[in-house]
Amino acid sequence: MAINDGEARVELSIPGRPEYVGVARLAILGVASRMRFSYDEVEDIRLAVGEACTTAMERTSEAGLPCQSIRIRCLIHSSELVIEVCDNALIPEPTPPPSNAPNLDERSLGGVLIRILMDDVSTLTDPETGQRVVRMVKHVGHGAR
Amino acid sequence: MQFTVEARNVRDGVAVIALGGEVDVYTSPRLKQEMVDLLNKGTTRLIIDLSAVDYLDSTGLGVLIGGLKRAREREGDLRLICNNLRILRIFEITGLTKIFDIHSSEAEALGGLG
Repeated sequence: MAINDGEARVELSIPGRPEYVGVARLAILGVASRMRFSYDEVEDIRLAVGEACTTAMERTSEAGLPCQSIRIRCLIHSSELVIEVCDNALIPEPTPPPSNAPNLDERSLGGVLIRILMDDVSTLTDPETGQRVVRMVKHVGHGAR
Repeated sequence: MQFTVEARNVRDGVAVIALGGEVDVYTSPRLKQEMVDLLNKGTTRLIIDLSAVDYLDSTGLGVLIGGLKRAREREGDLRLICNNLRILRIFEITGLTKIFDIHSSEAEALGGLG
């Protein structure tokens, strides 16, 4: 997956265990609070990132694999915040989706929440590593939803 | 804020579980266990007080849905107390306000619970 450099980048890697999801939420709270988002938007972003981390752990768990770590990458632009959550698990996809096709599990409440809370959401497979990345975008200046 | 869970019986078969802090993938198993323990002891009408909860994720929602299902299977009920607009919004955007009976106070939640 090609990732263009943003104006600033913040990266965090957490152990893939439930007790560390709160750490990712705290970090994203710090990042989003420095941007021109409303309080509600910052809270939306925090919840979406928590859900993406939880989804990553559930995905690896359902595949019978340990979730070694979850990588969260924030690309900070003046007009938007792009957040990528990568589960660092090599799980074969039965039917690989075409590039950029959203395939986040909408049956799960977590997936539903992410799609409602963020402006753009897609699930990608990193061509370099084969790992799944949930990519979420929140635009600045859209106001409280 | 640290997660807290405190259960107390208000009358025969009726209990209030007061939660505080963050209800998420890490903490919600404790809520689930508390509800299961109460239901197994015959307390089938549960009121979950979310007044002091400042974060609730899909895992927490799932545990509450499971508690409601288990309570109704035992001909009981599960009601919520919630005044936090942020938390209420999560119930609204997921459509769960149609499933849960949400009240603004314990007295209101206890009304007509039997």
